[in-house]
Amino acid sequence: MIPLLIDCDPGHDDSMAILYAAKHFELRGLTTVFGNSIVENTTRNALKICELAGLDIPVAGGMGAPLVGSFAPSMIHGASGLDGADLPEPRRRPVDMHAVTMIIEQAKKAQGELVLAAIGPLTNVAVALRTEPRLARWLKCITIMGGSLDIGNAAPYAEANILKDPEAAAAVFSCDAEIYLAGLNFTRQAILDRSHAEMLRQAGGAVPETVAGMLDFYLTRNEARYGKPISPMHDPSAFVPFVRPDLVEHKPFHIQVELASPLLRGMTVADQRNVTRRPDEPEPPRANVMAGIRMDGPAATRHVIETIGSYGRG
Amino acid sequence: MTRYIIDCDPGHDDAMAILYAAAHLDVVGLTTVAGNSSLENSTRNALAICTLADLKLPVVPGLDRALIEPPLDGAYVHGATGIDGADLPAPGYDPLNRHAVDFIIETAKAAPGELSLIAIGPLSNVALALRLEPRLAGWLKSIAIMGGSTTSGNRTPYAEFNIVCDPEAAAIVFDAGVPLSMVGLNVTRQAGIAERHIARLRQGGGRVSSVMADLLAFYLAKMQERYGTPTAAMHDPCAVIPLARPGLITFQALPVHIELGEGPLRGMTACDSRPMRRDHDQPGASRPANCDVAVAVDGDACVDAVIDTILGYDRP
Repeated sequence: MIPLLIDCDPGHDDSMAILYAAKHFELRGLTTVFGNSIVENTTRNALKICELAGLDIPVAGGMGAPLVGSFAPSMIHGASGLDGADLPEPRRRPVDMHAVTMIIEQAKKAQGELVLAAIGPLTNVAVALRTEPRLARWLKCITIMGGSLDIGNAAPYAEANILKDPEAAAAVFSCDAEIYLAGLNFTRQAILDRSHAEMLRQAGGAVPETVAGMLDFYLTRNEARYGKPISPMHDPSAFVPFVRPDLVEHKPFHIQVELASPLLRGMTVADQRNVTRRPDEPEPPRANVMAGIRMDGPAATRHVIETIGSYGRG
Repeated sequence: MTRYIIDCDPGHDDAMAILYAAAHLDVVGLTTVAGNSSLENSTRNALAICTLADLKLPVVPGLDRALIEPPLDGAYVHGATGIDGADLPAPGYDPLNRHAVDFIIETAKAAPGELSLIAIGPLSNVALALRLEPRLAGWLKSIAIMGGSTTSGNRTPYAEFNIVCDPEAAAIVFDAGVPLSMVGLNVTRQAGIAERHIARLRQGGGRVSSVMADLLAFYLAKMQERYGTPTAAMHDPCAVIPLARPGLITFQALPVHIELGEGPLRGMTACDSRPMRRDHDQPGASRPANCDVAVAVDGDACVDAVIDTILGYDRP
């Protein structure tokens, strides 16, 4: 199995992603970052998920604020960052190591093999890349849930993970590692609804039932806010391409992160035109990202839910 | 009845738009602007098209450059004259000895609430008129714009040619408070001119249809070279079609912001089309809608409607 480290901010869809990935990768640890909630909450939530699923892996807390500017928590995931899941306080503690150190050490230990998944703001990853210049070379690849090749969510064109730390995202997108991107244009093709919560309940067991509760909370929140009890399957979509490449299509793009424009800050800018270059136009920059463009959404959601359902059988 | 001024930079697709509009709407004049080509070319071409179709519309030249942006060259699509590819007649009459900006203001003032603008070039004339006469925004019934995109651009990855030619003018127009409609590349790319449309014009055999067939053959070849598609986007007529044939293009009211920064997004029409748009009082909230943005189109029906109209010019 592929060794994996997940940098995350759980978060309901982070939790699903962790539980899904733990069944298909050799999960070596979790590093946490601010994002869906403050980093104290995301760290506690990561520990809770590990305890729930019996994952004996280290959890390291990381950055609590973006490189530039400050962090204002949103309430979409509830006050704890993981409302709707009635999880006991974790008994275990985070390791006595900063997330950035853990990313570097894990990558060094498994040079050329480790997949680093980043499903929250990219602050930890950016700091790690700057702290250890060899990190980009050590990683097999970075898979990111963030950005969009079309419409945003937190802003008209910006996705929340990128918008929460655009400078960090710019540093990561310009590094030498191979990058896979699951943007909103991709994750919106995989839609979770109440039928998926029902599938989990039927599977039975502590993990599926807890995830069903989280999903219910999230869907109800979305219904109240936006009118429909549905949600794109954001974070798990960063992992599906490694497990079920048959369900997805990727395309190389040069992506840069807009930092200046007040309205468009955090946008992942990609040239999606299909044009023949004129002589007066500059050479296009080299592609730096393999971006997900198509996914068999119904099959991908079923596959992820079935994986989480399989915890029920022990 | 609503009267129309077409503000344009002909241009192959401008020529189609002018012929289509003049056949279906009460067009009272053409104002010209630098864009696809120089102001001189735009003006001469507008006169030549009117001469070809015996339209005798007043043609009034306007701005020869954008408010701030240096001129861009559209010759890679439209050729050196701005409308290469056919033997257009020499202009049979002169442009009016007035300025486009004054013509727009005076026409609107004469009958407030009855004039609409069809703006299918850079928005320099329209913006300057709005600034020169602050009451103009209240006098205009609407402005129908061909420009921008809700998806990718053409001149740059996100910006469309008309808007990126004069982004500041576009920002003025989009903030003016006049009822606006925007038909952008996301829609016009779906209205594809194909060889079969050119063949229909040739079969018509009349003078107007033959010249338009030659023009479109040139335009199609250029667009194929640039975009590698079998069809050429019929941009400008798509701004006019909803005025004559409501229903072929579907609009959605959206907040649209013109990006003016110096970066790669300059000239982008940033539309807030989030399916889960937020309430106005929340962080990340969208602004109120300022434009009806074209989001869907029956492309074949649009092209057929324009080709039918052009063929009609040659019928007695």
